[in-house]
Amino acid sequence: MSRISSEWHNVTTEKAKGSRMKDLTDYSGKFDPDIKYENFSKDFLVQLLRAYADYLRKLDGFWYLTLKNKIGDDEAFACDIKVWEKMCAIHLEMIRKLYKINSGDVAALLKAFQMSPWRPTCQGIAELKSPRHGIVTITSCPTLLALENEGKGGEEKICQQLELQLFIMQANFFNPQIQVRALKVPPRTEYSDCCCQWEFRLEPKEGE
Amino acid sequence: MKKLADYSGKFDPHFSYDKFTKETILKLLKAYSEYMLRIDGFWYLTVMNKWGNDEALDCDIKVWEKGIPREMQTISSLLNVHGDDVATLMKYIQVRPFLWNYQCEIDFKSPNHAVLTVNHCPTLLSMEKEGTGREKRLCHESEPKVLSTTAHFFNPNIQVVPLKLPPRTDYSDCSCQWEFRLDR
Repeated sequence: MSRISSEWHNVTTEKAKGSRMKDLTDYSGKFDPDIKYENFSKDFLVQLLRAYADYLRKLDGFWYLTLKNKIGDDEAFACDIKVWEKMCAIHLEMIRKLYKINSGDVAALLKAFQMSPWRPTCQGIAELKSPRHGIVTITSCPTLLALENEGKGGEEKICQQLELQLFIMQANFFNPQIQVRALKVPPRTEYSDCCCQWEFRLEPKEGE
Repeated sequence: MKKLADYSGKFDPHFSYDKFTKETILKLLKAYSEYMLRIDGFWYLTVMNKWGNDEALDCDIKVWEKGIPREMQTISSLLNVHGDDVATLMKYIQVRPFLWNYQCEIDFKSPNHAVLTVNHCPTLLSMEKEGTGREKRLCHESEPKVLSTTAHFFNPNIQVVPLKLPPRTDYSDCSCQWEFRLDR
């Protein structure tokens, strides 16, 4: 009997151990009762991490869409906000702990954006002008593309309200003095060079 | 360049996951898996608190009807896990994203017969702690659909039989237990 989890140990035959010394790039071989993620190559695990990121974005989207189809967009949106009010703190604490991002400036916030589980599904540029001033430009956002494709103007609520609220919550987590300003936010009527763009600024305190 | 264990250093505009050690990537995978579980859980609870458990369960089933095939297409393709027997299904169950959150055992009897025992299930522990008996419906209605959809992705003839299912009134040695069988 094999026990599956990231922390299990089991007695294996020498032959099986030998075959597992190599870094696997897939699991096309026979069923291995003692398979562990450690047996896979790092490159493969990075691919898997990107797939997990894509999956968690879809999972969140499926809940939103299911509720929207069942009860309506306003209710789904209200639930989305409630979910992310709870989830945001967990999300940030996870990032801070995993990556040891401990400062309270804009640099820390931009590092946390780079390392967000949502990041692999979006493309963007984090420009740190100084530790107190940064600009994040999202150049590819599958959620925005889906909303634009849907053509019902859902991006007004999601990008202007929810996203702004999420950016503020994230900024406040690192430092409540960080100011968040939307430079470009959908609907994309006046720009087309990116999906959205945000500025983060930490003004020096008096005397600094 | 030395691989990094974390991101405590200076801001790097060109940062990517490749710069981390394999150990860090493993920690991230586990964290992402927990993150998924929490997103799903918060949505369930938010809907339940607003409209009741029936609506939440109905949404949950609908979400997973869409989510599982997507998950399986991506992960089975990435891992190159293809086949139509119970062995293939067991390989997939070993590596599915949510499995980081559970502790399971597979009793692999033959390529067409296996028993899956879930020893630790955080969702069940939460529901038992809550004490409202939600596990009766979630484990009896949603979970069989999840496992059947997973099994039937590889072969619609794989039979999924629950051997032990919560509420845990008659057993305490595991969270739940399932048999997978393919008669050829």
